[in-house]
Amino acid sequence: MAQITAPPKAAPATRIADRRTVVAVGATLVAVALVVSIGDPGRIAWVRTFFVIFGSLLIQALPFVLLGALAAALVEVFVPIGWFEKLGVLPRPLQLPAAALAGLAFPICECGSVPVARRLMQRGLMPSAAVTFMLAAPVLNPVVIASTFFAFNRQTILWTMVVGRFLLGMLVAIAVGWVIGNRSKDELLKPNPEEVDEHLLELGRPEARWRRFFVHLGNDFLFMGRYLLLGATIAAAIQTFLPTSLLTGIAEHQVISVIAMMALAAALSLCSESDAFVAASFVQFGPSAMLGFLVFGPMVDLKLVALYAGTFRRGFARTVVLVAAVATFVGALWVGVAFG
Amino acid sequence: MSDATVAKTGARVHEEAAPQRRWSPTRVAGTVVLAAWGGLFWFLWLTGREAFYLSTRTDWVVPVAAVLLTAATIGRLASARVTTPKPLAARELWIMGLMVVPVVLVLFARPATLGTFSAGKRAGFSGAGFAASAGDIGSGELTLIDVAAAETSPEGERALAKRAGETVSFVGFVSIRDDTPADEFLLARYVVTCCVADATIAEVRVVNVTPGQFENEDWVQVTGTIFPIGREVIVDASDIAAVERPDHPYLTP
Repeated sequence: MAQITAPPKAAPATRIADRRTVVAVGATLVAVALVVSIGDPGRIAWVRTFFVIFGSLLIQALPFVLLGALAAALVEVFVPIGWFEKLGVLPRPLQLPAAALAGLAFPICECGSVPVARRLMQRGLMPSAAVTFMLAAPVLNPVVIASTFFAFNRQTILWTMVVGRFLLGMLVAIAVGWVIGNRSKDELLKPNPEEVDEHLLELGRPEARWRRFFVHLGNDFLFMGRYLLLGATIAAAIQTFLPTSLLTGIAEHQVISVIAMMALAAALSLCSESDAFVAASFVQFGPSAMLGFLVFGPMVDLKLVALYAGTFRRGFARTVVLVAAVATFVGALWVGVAFG
Repeated sequence: MSDATVAKTGARVHEEAAPQRRWSPTRVAGTVVLAAWGGLFWFLWLTGREAFYLSTRTDWVVPVAAVLLTAATIGRLASARVTTPKPLAARELWIMGLMVVPVVLVLFARPATLGTFSAGKRAGFSGAGFAASAGDIGSGELTLIDVAAAETSPEGERALAKRAGETVSFVGFVSIRDDTPADEFLLARYVVTCCVADATIAEVRVVNVTPGQFENEDWVQVTGTIFPIGREVIVDASDIAAVERPDHPYLTP
């Protein structure tokens, strides 16, 4: 019997930007400027609050995305292909801890670690190790350790927080890397349309390294920036309306308080270098809940989930959220019982 | 002789014509976005407006970003001419336009800071590590950060209690809630460690206020006598003067 196969679906036609599109985009931006300056929507208290929080999230996070893109471009252009594959000679049980501890050498926060991890995968580092590095670096880096120390200084739970955050952060990152297992980069990474750039199609000599460096730097920044924008919009909206006092009533329930603080960390989308000060302000919560906040937030928050969704294939963000949530929850509760 | 050159020896050597480079719409559009963000960071740095978004601890990112984005813009522009330009999809152009919207908002919206709308939604400041120790609170000039931090530890509370009856002077904004008596207000100031997103609040209750004299969000300097009562700190005002919003509206622990 002849097999009948459906004809391949034609790819949807992509509309090319023409002069009219350029004018329309420009006119829209001018209209926004006019509405904002003449209409002054900042007169409305919640709009003003939203603008300030939204602006601050972007103004603080974008430089770190840029630094991450810079590191990623350096990796792409100046590190030979296959260099990271040499790390595969490490015995398998050591690969993920080594990747996690590499975070100690990178004082970058969570927004910067995503482009670096993506580029490391593309250059041959095992995806599980790259993901472990991506999740561990924002928790384990020296700046974060120092800020945690200062935030909890003179409190009885100081070392529970500093050491607990370091060790639990490392374990959770390794757990996610372990679940990722042997999946290949093609199974994890979304293709970036910007990657199919003109330098691959150049005629004559290949593009100079400096040109490729700047193209990759710009591409990574623009690619990550759009998802950061989306995440910052959602996080700012939640921060504008969510009263943190809502949590006060549940502080006494150890299990629920851990879940609540993890959820709060995800919603607030704070930088890992400052979140310890916010955690320390919740004096009514126990060490388990605070640890949940400090470990889960730098790995899963609204702006990060947007970045993950843009960078990785469907299902990756779900895996990270689920594994990180369960591992953080169990670990934080255990620390609370053992040292609280 | 268009595709041939004459070598110094005089021999005719065939050589392919150097491919002509044209502007790449994708790279040019990306350059515009980078330039817009670079311009914003220069603007923030030169006007000091970064203080409305970041703490003094993290405002170094602004000049760093301004310089790096400028370099990235120049580098991208210099590499924007290619032999086979890829057309730019309309959707991509709209996304790039969207990425410029925050720049427009910050540049064209009236400068604003967190105010009373957030006051009731933010956690109280607890900066045990940065604020003065109980010993330090016991002597020297009291700041709003000292007062707020003292409220979160028994030692701090005791040290602050010993300062009862002393004269203090605090600058902050007026916060009046529904249940605030007419002759009182809360004097508040946000404490920001990195950016406004992590703001916590430090506040004291000011009594002996002329009813109706001040409104929410007014910036004032309150001079008066401090009376710490448990976890609440009351300032009996002897003088309240309206002041301009400080250049650094947030406190840094």
